[in-house]
Amino acid sequence: MEAADSQNGTVGRDEARVSYQVPNTLLSVQNIYKSFGSNEVLKGISLDLCESQVLALIGGNGAGKSTLMKIIMGIYSADSGEITIAGKKVDISNPKAALEHSIYMVPQEPMLFPNMTVRENVVIGFDEGASELESRLKSVMAEIGWSLDLDCKASTLSIAEQGMVEILRGLMRNPKVLILDEPTSALTFDEVQSLLACVEELQKKGIGIIYITHRLSEVFEIGTTVAILRDGIVTTQGNVFEFTRDDLVRGLLPEDASVDGATTGDSACEIDYSQEPVLRVRDFSGYGFSDVSFDIYPGEIVGLAGVVGAGRTEMATTIFGRDKVLGGSVTLNGQDITGRKTRQVISMGLNYVPEDRFNDGLYRIRGVAENTTSALLSSSRMGRFFLNSKEEERVSQSYVDRFRTKVTGLDQEVGGLSGGNQQKTVIGRAFSTSPKVVILDEPTRGIDAAARGDVYAVLQELRDTGVSILLISSDMEEIVELSDRALVMYQGRIVQEFGKDQIVQENLTAAAFGVYQADAKAVTD
Amino acid sequence: MTRIKQLLTKGQASWNLILIGLLVLEFVVFGAANPKFLRPALLFTSINDNLPVFMIALFVTLVMVTGGIDIQVASLVGLTSITIGVAWQDFGFSIWAAVALAVLICIACGAFSGFLIAYCGVQAMVVTLGGSFLYSGIALLISTLSSTESYQGIGGFPEEFKFIASYQVFGAIPFQLLIYVAMFAIAFILLHKTKYGRKVILTGVNAQAAEFSGINSRLVIMSTYVLSAVAAAIAGIVLTAYLGTAKSDLGGSLTMDIITAVVLGGTLSTGGKGSIIGTALASFAIAFLKFGLPLCFKVGTQYLNIPVGILLVAVIVGRSAASSTGYLSMLRTLVSSKVGNGPKVKA
Amino acid sequence: MGRIKNLLHARSMSSFAFLVILFLVVGLINPAFLTPSNISACFNTSVVYTLVAVGMAFTLFIGEIDVSVGANLGLVAAVVGSMLRDGQSMGLAIIVGVVIGAMIGLINAWGVAVMKAPSLIFTLGVNGVLRGIVYVYTNGAWVENLPKGFKDFSSVTAVGDLTVYYCATIVLVAVIQLLLVRTKRGRYFHAVGDNAQGATLVGLPTRTTKILAYVICGVMAAIGGIIFCSRIGFVTPASGNGYEMKAIAACVLGGISLLGGVGSVVGSAIGAVIMASISYLLVFMGFSSNYDNAITGIILIVIVVVDALLQRRAIVKNRHARLAARVSSGTEVAAAAMEKAQEGGEA
Repeated sequence: MEAADSQNGTVGRDEARVSYQVPNTLLSVQNIYKSFGSNEVLKGISLDLCESQVLALIGGNGAGKSTLMKIIMGIYSADSGEITIAGKKVDISNPKAALEHSIYMVPQEPMLFPNMTVRENVVIGFDEGASELESRLKSVMAEIGWSLDLDCKASTLSIAEQGMVEILRGLMRNPKVLILDEPTSALTFDEVQSLLACVEELQKKGIGIIYITHRLSEVFEIGTTVAILRDGIVTTQGNVFEFTRDDLVRGLLPEDASVDGATTGDSACEIDYSQEPVLRVRDFSGYGFSDVSFDIYPGEIVGLAGVVGAGRTEMATTIFGRDKVLGGSVTLNGQDITGRKTRQVISMGLNYVPEDRFNDGLYRIRGVAENTTSALLSSSRMGRFFLNSKEEERVSQSYVDRFRTKVTGLDQEVGGLSGGNQQKTVIGRAFSTSPKVVILDEPTRGIDAAARGDVYAVLQELRDTGVSILLISSDMEEIVELSDRALVMYQGRIVQEFGKDQIVQENLTAAAFGVYQADAKAVTD
Repeated sequence: MTRIKQLLTKGQASWNLILIGLLVLEFVVFGAANPKFLRPALLFTSINDNLPVFMIALFVTLVMVTGGIDIQVASLVGLTSITIGVAWQDFGFSIWAAVALAVLICIACGAFSGFLIAYCGVQAMVVTLGGSFLYSGIALLISTLSSTESYQGIGGFPEEFKFIASYQVFGAIPFQLLIYVAMFAIAFILLHKTKYGRKVILTGVNAQAAEFSGINSRLVIMSTYVLSAVAAAIAGIVLTAYLGTAKSDLGGSLTMDIITAVVLGGTLSTGGKGSIIGTALASFAIAFLKFGLPLCFKVGTQYLNIPVGILLVAVIVGRSAASSTGYLSMLRTLVSSKVGNGPKVKA
Repeated sequence: MGRIKNLLHARSMSSFAFLVILFLVVGLINPAFLTPSNISACFNTSVVYTLVAVGMAFTLFIGEIDVSVGANLGLVAAVVGSMLRDGQSMGLAIIVGVVIGAMIGLINAWGVAVMKAPSLIFTLGVNGVLRGIVYVYTNGAWVENLPKGFKDFSSVTAVGDLTVYYCATIVLVAVIQLLLVRTKRGRYFHAVGDNAQGATLVGLPTRTTKILAYVICGVMAAIGGIIFCSRIGFVTPASGNGYEMKAIAACVLGGISLLGGVGSVVGSAIGAVIMASISYLLVFMGFSSNYDNAITGIILIVIVVVDALLQRRAIVKNRHARLAARVSSGTEVAAAAMEKAQEGGEA
């Protein structure tokens, strides 16, 4: 109790919360298992949610939070395990069934009908009469004290307002369980406050809330209980006031990671920091990030940590010529590449491995060779006009061999490969253009442990050839293992830089969640 | 032998072999029912009648590989025809200058529609629908510039022009068929052998990923509409020479045949996969079906839409059913192992 | 933001305004046009287009398309026409016609909603089959000698110079519009086309909605066929050809997006009037009706391109606003740092 109070200083609120807790379990999931192909996402999850509880669910990317919620909503079905609602075992096979059991999820990306009015968005799917719905809607809105223009189109709403409409939709269904999936990730400070106030209102009405978040401060602000998910298991669970911030950070870390953090020293080679940096980014601003400055030296692996939405991907894609530059400069090997077209950026020596492998990286219904050489089509190496199929075969075979990609042939469709082999193909594509700098965005997301090791080996090997790597990752372990230096982004800005000896998961995680406290161990600016 | 097999399966595993099977079946059945079907002169006639569709389908394949569709090409055939006629007869152009003018106009039309689709992000279906109205409307307006009533058509072209359709190489092979063969070769090489073709395919699979690979996907998309417009222009020239008259509404009903040939040829309507050989084989299969049924089974020519339509519906339903159950890959493995291609894994 | 909101809000209103301005401009050029009978004629001629376009609108709402409506109309017209010619009762003929339309709708729904075939190509195939069936049914002959009463009924007026058919159609459109807007299930069509995934998430019956849309489309085309029969007085095997394209164009003119989820049946009805009256208006403006297609094409292209550009701008703006909201301002960072320092002290 004392610890929690000193952390967030909301004594009164905590007491109030305790008095609300009645042991009336609304929703209980037991031993949920789920795998996609060979990738085990959930390995026996058990959680309970009672009336008036706000269960704060935290965990890194790929920990399985979204998958679990989709199972509760009937979008996926679990491989095994049970869901009980109010003591009765239920079978939720589709979203309709979940709605009938008074569960509603506000998805991370609002699922509104953009061309319909707010009112239509809220009341669609109900069987009651229009006037009855209207009066209920009015009373619900009055209760939570929101004012929304019900007659404007959903497409004109801000993302925060869209989230509010989603919540309204949920409330109209008189839910007993409301799931909020990272509702504040795209909100401004004021909007977050009004949302949190709303959550408290709902809690007072006895609704059980599962609140998924990346922000530890929110856990203390509104959570009554907390659960931490890591690699498909619940690592920590209990009442919020039993935990301190450090406890939560520890829960987010892998078990074998010592908090004091000795790094695998042998992976790094000496970087000569007296050289000219190969990539120099100065006061770089764009949509989603602002005033970013850093250098990357030849042969260096620089980790870029942060949570989803911190602006890392936006920065990388803007460097890569995919979005508008708002200010600052990027210099590659002495050449200014600020605001150049992607094609030019590639030919000047920078390539990018996209975060979203399926939408931005892969040509799923085409072969390995075609995927690997796709970035070479603008250079003359693949022929002037005619396609040099010998060169194509040579290049793609060399990456298949070097990365030990498992394929039945160079014409095998990449859609049929495992996640790890798909990723190796995309990495091969980035390196095929003989770049000086490669930005890898979440290179091991969604791939299994063995393939992850392979990818690490590939990156080490490539670095040894003198290529510099900017490694964007939400997996802190990965950054610890690979980086010579690490940067941390939080809300669109680089908030910390760590030298080799300070790269420990604890520091990275704390900085990524915006709670890093500069003490003796850390570098201060 | 393996080289031939490779060529045949270029771009798609065994669909081409199925199409060849269909062609063989047509020859066997129609040939048995009426040996006249096998006479080269008659076969060439049936091909000649359908050549505009054949030619245009080749390049509409490129459009559909990018994931688009082009329903304006049919109107460009008429536009080409009437431009040649009016420029030659009423404006004193030499016949070849008139032809060049027609081709240039078609390029402009294709580029205009392609630009709207690629750079303004309007759906290909709507733009080319508007284009089909606009270009056929322009064709009609051009016809009013002529002293000849538009329903009559402009005739009396010089021999050197009619030569395109009347000359027979070695006294047997129609010259226009050779034009088609040349176009086939160009389309085949473009799509399957050049960097450009690879860009077209990759843009069709995933335009977003193409941009991340440094491919200018918009320019690629626009260029395919220019190519299909050029193909429509050539088809218009050949058809005008073949019929001996220039009319503004020539080719007006070709759209369905073109789309059918491309889809039946194995091109995915969602883009990313397509085969020029497949399109060519499907064109021939449809042409022979339309030729054989009336000749051998006295099926009225007006009824021919039924078998062609059924073929199209069956193929498209079969394909979407197969892609959801995965049985197509099974079928392909089966077929490819049967023809001795070895068990290739194709998802 | 507000501007776009209003624009989206008033899509069918802007079509209506366009129609009014069109009439006024023509009236300015030639005052003889502005008589009740001329304006009524514009509406009266649009009746078949209106019916087909309203049906088409349903398939566009759900994000699909139906290009078989032209042949559907032709088949129903031929069947109903021949039944009446052979002395069958009016009621029976109408029932048979509507049932045929509904059956065609069900076939399309099966292909698109159940088998998940791409709608454009599937319905294109069905269109071909139906075209052939019309020839089989009519033997290629015209259906003529329809009962005089049936033909004459098409010119009976109800309100002013507006025919009974058009007035009935207006009532029908109004009823459909009310059902779509006022009833809970009426909104499902737009919802499914707007965000199919979201529709599933709130528990809407997406597949049933799609099937219903195709059946409605088929029935509307059938009703169009019956009225076509009465108005024209004879049916040729080619009747209804090209109606699908005109109906799509009418819908787009009326503010319906081919991406689904946007527009109203009133809009498609207004679009149909624009489509139908362009050639009539051209005559009054001193142009020949040869300009018809070109003008239609230009209007269509301009409207969709402007619409697409506006929408894209809104999307980009939205995305940028979203991303910008994530970036903490300099002062916030400072505040956070202070907070951190305090916390550090407490700990």
